[in-house]
This record gives sequence, structure tokens and C-alpha cells, in this order.
Amino acid sequence: MSSSHAQRFVGRYTRRLVATAGVMAMLAGAGMAGMSSAAADSASPSPAAAPTVLRIGMTTSVDNPNMFAVNSAAEWGSAVIQYDMALKFGPDLTASPGLATSCDPSDDNRTWTCHLRDGLKWSDGQPITSKDVVFSYNFVRDKQFDYFNSYFPEGTTFTAPDDKTFVWHLTKPGIGPMRPAWCYIVPEHIWGKYANATQDQIKAVKLFPNVASGPFVMTEANPGQNWTYSRNPNFWGTRPTYDQVVFQLYTNQEAMVQALKNGEIDIADGFDGPLLPALSAIPNVAVQKVESDFWVSLAFNFGGQGPNAHPLPALKDLNVRKAIEMAIDKQGIVDKVYPGAAVPGDTIIRPLSTFWHLNVPADKAITYDPAAANALLDQSGYTKGGDGIRVDPKTGQPLHITLPTSDDVNGSSDVGQLVRGYLKQIGISVDVKPTTAAKMYDLQQSGEFDAYIWYWSGDPDPNYQLSVFTSSACDGDGHLSDGCWKDPAYDAIFSKQETEFDQAKRQQDVFDAQQYVYDQIPDIALVYPNYIEAYRTDKVAGLIATPAKVGYLTTSYDYASMVSAHPAEQPPTTESSSSGGIPVWVWPLAIAAIGVGVFLSMRRSGKGSDEFERD
Amino acid sequence: MRLRYIARKCGWALLTLLFVLSANFFLFRIMPGDPIGLLARSTRLSPEALQQQIHLFGLDQPLPAQYLTYLKQTLSGNLGVSIISGSEVSETLAGRVWPTVLLVGLGTLIAAVIGVIAGIKGGWTRDSGFDRGSLYSSLLLYATPEGWLGMLLLIVFAGTLGWFPAGGYASNSGSGAASFGDVARHLFLPVLTLALGYVGSFVIVMRSSMIDVKEEDYITTARAKGLNDATIRRHHAVPNAFLPSFTLIVLSVGFILGGAIVVETVFSWPGLGLLTYQAINDQDYPVLQAVFLISSGAVILANLVADIAYGYLDPRVEGV
Repeated sequence: MSSSHAQRFVGRYTRRLVATAGVMAMLAGAGMAGMSSAAADSASPSPAAAPTVLRIGMTTSVDNPNMFAVNSAAEWGSAVIQYDMALKFGPDLTASPGLATSCDPSDDNRTWTCHLRDGLKWSDGQPITSKDVVFSYNFVRDKQFDYFNSYFPEGTTFTAPDDKTFVWHLTKPGIGPMRPAWCYIVPEHIWGKYANATQDQIKAVKLFPNVASGPFVMTEANPGQNWTYSRNPNFWGTRPTYDQVVFQLYTNQEAMVQALKNGEIDIADGFDGPLLPALSAIPNVAVQKVESDFWVSLAFNFGGQGPNAHPLPALKDLNVRKAIEMAIDKQGIVDKVYPGAAVPGDTIIRPLSTFWHLNVPADKAITYDPAAANALLDQSGYTKGGDGIRVDPKTGQPLHITLPTSDDVNGSSDVGQLVRGYLKQIGISVDVKPTTAAKMYDLQQSGEFDAYIWYWSGDPDPNYQLSVFTSSACDGDGHLSDGCWKDPAYDAIFSKQETEFDQAKRQQDVFDAQQYVYDQIPDIALVYPNYIEAYRTDKVAGLIATPAKVGYLTTSYDYASMVSAHPAEQPPTTESSSSGGIPVWVWPLAIAAIGVGVFLSMRRSGKGSDEFERD
Repeated sequence: MRLRYIARKCGWALLTLLFVLSANFFLFRIMPGDPIGLLARSTRLSPEALQQQIHLFGLDQPLPAQYLTYLKQTLSGNLGVSIISGSEVSETLAGRVWPTVLLVGLGTLIAAVIGVIAGIKGGWTRDSGFDRGSLYSSLLLYATPEGWLGMLLLIVFAGTLGWFPAGGYASNSGSGAASFGDVARHLFLPVLTLALGYVGSFVIVMRSSMIDVKEEDYITTARAKGLNDATIRRHHAVPNAFLPSFTLIVLSVGFILGGAIVVETVFSWPGLGLLTYQAINDQDYPVLQAVFLISSGAVILANLVADIAYGYLDPRVEGV
């Protein structure tokens, strides 16, 4: 090798030492700058100038701040804090006044007339009229934004006879707007110019600051980091105490625990159960165990998805499914997999929808009883073979179930292993196959499974969740049905609730639908895991849950908590004030250590030591 | 240096890039499931709406047709639109490049400088206390999973001591010294994690080269000529022993744009590594293809630079 050439690259060895010291000093200096600025922030700013900020940690991001591109939990939260629905989700997640105060049906329940509040304004000062409402409804329909459009019955038209009135015209009697249309009202004077744009072009629109009607509007977005929402001066409701709300992204939950601990954030939104002990151990942190809005399901396959569907025939026998449900200890699953952070499941409507969820009557409940499960299978002719596995008397096949579990459900493979153990006690063997959510979707579409463990999460209104158990939910590509269970009796109950306009009667229909599915067991609701939120009691107060008491403190369904929240009165504790940065005494030590290291290295490399001779 | 040598290396780099371009497309489509279908589980997307979305992104087209569209778009500089966010992929990538360059670049630089210096000293004073200490530390750090190390630093320095933020790039937007300090505070722990994770390999490679070179005849000759130890080390041993480390450094530079997936995920650092992790979870094909294309391109370019520099540093390799 030509050493003269090489020396141009590497011969300035001592200089690199200096360069290293430079990099270190830069980082250290930067850290000091950070410390200084943090100290300055906390010590000197004029109280009048500093905005009050509520910082919320999240584990999903607002990838696209445009409301029409909503997808992740954070994006839904971003829409909720900025926009209003005509009628919104109330404390029990049923319809309550939003921009509209009320909606009245005509005598034939085909026409619903709704009335807007007085003096409504957009954040840019323009008036909000019923034309904006009609525009929003027609816009999502014309542009096929199905997240929102799915709430409007087919053929429904909308009119705005005056600035404060809008009307739903249904093709057949129905509840119309009283099943709150989860469609946010947007300003026509902003979005009307995109009437001829494609869906992609609309999703690409970015507005800073945004124009909306809710308590806060987005004023800044740092993709992959944080999103700032500033108070809307024209908000029609109670003036929020905070000037700004910031959504801060943490890509892992453990980091968010640490951020809550050091006071970097005021509220943390979205933990899994295993972190509950860590959260509970942090001083001045309160934990909100949100009643479950999803359920872990064990779904049976009935075939019918297509030529590749090959379910175990015995699973079509209700007695087998019932014996399986009786053999599974749901409380045991809660205790072992979700300790303190779930409750045993029962029906297909999650308990968070407090108005719609059926508490199964004790006399109709299927309870954990392995002995009775064994007896039921014995009576049904499923005798045990030499290996202890029961055999189907009709087909001669052993009761062996392949059970995929999906990785997008926390703890699903552990649940699968527990189910395997429970079913072994009644002579059914289970092969648990943990898999990815993507693979699970393939299995669900093709029907290549006996049963699987996955999850469901629906709307506050039960219609969508009930619809996935109808016969038509098995039709076509992209079908929603788990195992293609088809039952005309259930379809009839579903249709009845869908068109019932009396809320109390509809509630009973929804109860009937849940009870029917519970009795027929196409799916077993294994557990309802809690959603965990936590907040610093020494930093924020006044948070309220939606739905009341058991619900979310952040912005999953309503912004009420963001309006009512205010800084806590008590001074920050020592622990929370420790988030200001590195203590002053650390810096001289660190810099001295670096300096000594650099000095020694340079001295040794320059002195011509006799280390070589030592070798 | 002969132009033919450079042209040959450039040709191979171009061919490799073309291969990567194709592999990128097919690799992600081997993954099971489809990205749109997953949306239906937790949302109220109807089967009709699902089909519409699948059509919109061309996922209902035969694979060869999708491939041709992809090639045509990519070669014309159009990286497409994210399936999940609906944003332009190029726009998404643009915001992620600088945080990654800052984090991985600084981590690599610190690790390389410290590692090479420690390797030189350790190799030259083999079996000394310093050598043993640096070697064992290097092996330990080299074997330590970065995710675990990062989490440990996070819990101690961010959560317990509260000295540094628990994640992110900055707490406040702005400019000037305050913003610089804010970013530096966020940068410290992830850079420290990366530097600790990377330093071991630099120490081990440099030390090993130094030990080999130290046995060479020309070192003995230099000593016989009466040169002092520091001069021999600086002017005769280090330049010759540096070639393997130089390769490692250049290749590491190539990997900078690939991001540091684990560290960026632990520290919520908004770089390309985190984007890759999220895109894999979401099966966001256009984003994945773009990220892999950029990171592969950077590695190919770094290899090309290394090859050409080798020819310059050591003319003998031109014949290889």
C-alpha cells in the first residue's frame, strides 16, 4: 500500500483526537444549551406570554392531518378535537346535541328535521349554516369517504330550507340522525372548491391553521413527532382553559411510561394491561381503566367462504360449540393473561356502549363447567378414542381444532394456549398457530381454519357490529363475517333493529340480537380487555370520561375532557420538576472527564512511549 | 487510476441497483395479506369500499402489470402515494432523512473515531490493561442488543433521573440556540445508544489489523533505523492497518440512510428506521419500496466509493 496516499486519509491521527473532542464538546454544549433553555423556560418567562399547554402522549401518529384521510387512533382523536357532528355522542354514546340541538321526525318517520344552534361560527369567523351540514353529508357521499358515508341509509337525501334547519329525507321509515351520523361537519367555503377533485387530491390538502368548529384547531404539524392544536376563539361551547393541546408521539409504550414519570407529558393515551403495575407505581399518576371497546373473540368456521374452506364439521353442532364455551374459564384467562386489565366477555356488543350492551341474565348465562361440558359431549355421542380425543360419530373424525391466533391482539397466543389446555379436559385437541394479522386476514377470507382467536372493535352504535354476523356479511371478496355463520332468524332480528325508530324498542331489539348470537355461539366473546389511560394528578385536573365514568379521558369519542381540563392547583412535585434537564453539578464533571481523557490520549500519542519495546 | 476500472465498478453498481429495484417490488408482495383488508377489522369499511380502495391502489391488477407501473413510476421519479396516509411518499421521506442522518451519522462518527483510536492503542499495546479493558468492553457492547441498551438508558436517564426526554426529536418548534439545545437533549440518548452499539466493531477490527501489522518486517526495519515508537505507529503502522477499518467506516456510512430501526423505535425518533418499522406493520408498499430503494442505493453508492477509493489507496486492487 502506498503509505503517502493513505496518510492523506489517516495520517492526521492526532487531529482526529481533537475532532472527537470537538464533537463531544458540541454535544455537551448543546446539552447545556438545552439545559439552559429548559431552565430559562421554567424560570423566567412572563406568565402572560407563555401559553398553557396540555401534552398528551400517544402511540399512534397523525400521518395525515387532513380529516378526510383519517385512519389511526391519533387521527380520529385529531378529528374529534377539531370538528363537530350534527348530533354527537353523549355520556352514554347515544345521540345528544352537537351543532344541532334536536331532530324531530315527521309522522311517517321518513323525514327528520334538525335545528342548529344560534350564532355558530367557524374558527375563521365565517358563520356555520345548515348548508355546511348538507354540503358535508353530500361531499362524503359523492367522494365515497365510506368511513363517514356508511351512516347514511341508502337513498337518503338532505336539504337546507333555511340557514338553521336541515332535513333528512329517508326512503323508508327509520331513525335517521338519531343513530348519530359519525360524519364531521366541514366548512363549505373551504372544501367546496374541491367539489371536482378526486379522493386522493382531497386527502392531499393541508390546511394550517385548519378551519373547524371544535374547541381546538390544528396549527402546527411535525410529522412523526407532535401535532399542536390551538384554542378556537370562535368555539360555540365553554371556553377551554388550555391555550394549546399537543399530541406527542411515542412509538413504544415503555417510553411513554417514562415520559409520564418525568413529567414530559400530562396524559398518556393507550397502554396494554402488562404496564398497569408500572403505571400504578408512579407517584402522582392516576390510571383510567377504560371499559373495553373491543373484544377478543374465538370464532368458529362454518365454511361457505369458497372452495378452500375446510372447517371441522363437528363445529357446526351447537352442542360442541356450547361444550367448548362451558369448558373455557374466561376468568382464568383474565387472571393469567390480562391481570387487572380485562373482564370476562359475554356478548358481541362491547360494554363501552353502555346503553346497548346486554348483561346476559343469569338463567341464560353459559358458565364455566368442564364436567357439564364433558357430559354434554357424551350425550351427543362424541365418545373418546384411545388417545383421549373425542371422535365425531357422523364423520369418524377426531375433534382436532387448528386454532390460529393473531399477533395484533395483545396476549392472543397465551389465550390460545390456555384454550388448548381447557379443551384438552373435554377431549378436544387444539393446535395453536400464532400468526400475523395479515395472514389471519387471508385465512378469514379463504376459510382455511377451524376456529381462530382475533378481535372485533366497532362503533358506539351497535349496527355495524351486529351487521357482521348477518348472512350477507359472508358475501363476496373482502367479506366481514368471521366464519360465514348464516341464520335467517338472526337476519330478521338485525333488520328489525335497523329500522326501529323508537330508541327503547331498538334497545330491546339489539338485546335480542345479542342474546341470539350468545345462544347460537358462532363466536365466543372471551374477554373484554381494558384500554388504559393515565395522567399526572399534580399537573392536570378536571378531566371527564366519555362515556361517563368508564370511558376515555382523551378524544376518542368527544372533546368534552379537553374543554373541562385545567392545570392542577397543587405545585409540581420534586419528581416532576426533575424533567428540566441534567443537574448543574453533572456538567463540570462530564466536561472535566472528557477533557482529561482527551489530554491523556494526546499526551500519550505524542510522547513517543516505549510501549513497543514492552511487547 | 484507470478509467476502465472506475467504469467497470460503476456498471456493476448500476446493475445491482436495477436488481434491487425489482427485488423491492416482489419482496413485499410475498408478505401475506393485503394492506387494505386489515383496515376493515377495526373500522366500518364495507366490502364495497374495500374493493374500491384495492382498485384505487391498483392492487387488483395482475402482478406483472403492477410491476410495470411501478418501474415506470419509479424511473420517472414518482414514488407514489402512501396507502395508509394518502400522502406523497417523496414528501414523507423528505421529512425523515435529516433526523436519520443526524442520529445515525453522529452515532457512527463518534463510534468510528473512538473505536479506531481505542483499536490502535489496544493493538499496539497488546495484553496491556488498556487493551484488555477495551477489548472486553467492546465484545460486551458488540453483543448487547441495542434495543435493550436503549431501553435501559431510557429508564435510567429519562424516567428515573429525568435528565433527558423519553423520546421524540424536539419538544418545541422554533429556531436558534433554544431549538438547537432542545434537539440536542432529545438526541443525546439515542446517539449514545448507537455509539455504544457500534463502537465495539470498530475497536475489534482496528485492533486486529494493528496486531497483524505490528509483526511486519518493515516495522522492525523502522525500529532498527532508530525511529521512535510514536513515529513508527503513526507513519508506518496505522496507515497500513487502517484499510479494513476504512472499509467498515465507508460501509457504515452507506447504512446511515437505512436508519436505525430499533433505536429509532425505542426513542420515538422520527427517522427512516421508524418509518420502515411503521410501513412494515401497515404493509404500506409504496413507502416500503421507497425506503428500501433509498437505503439500498446508499449502500451501493458507499460500496462504489469504497471500491474506487481502494483503487486509489492501494493500486494493486485495480487488477482484481
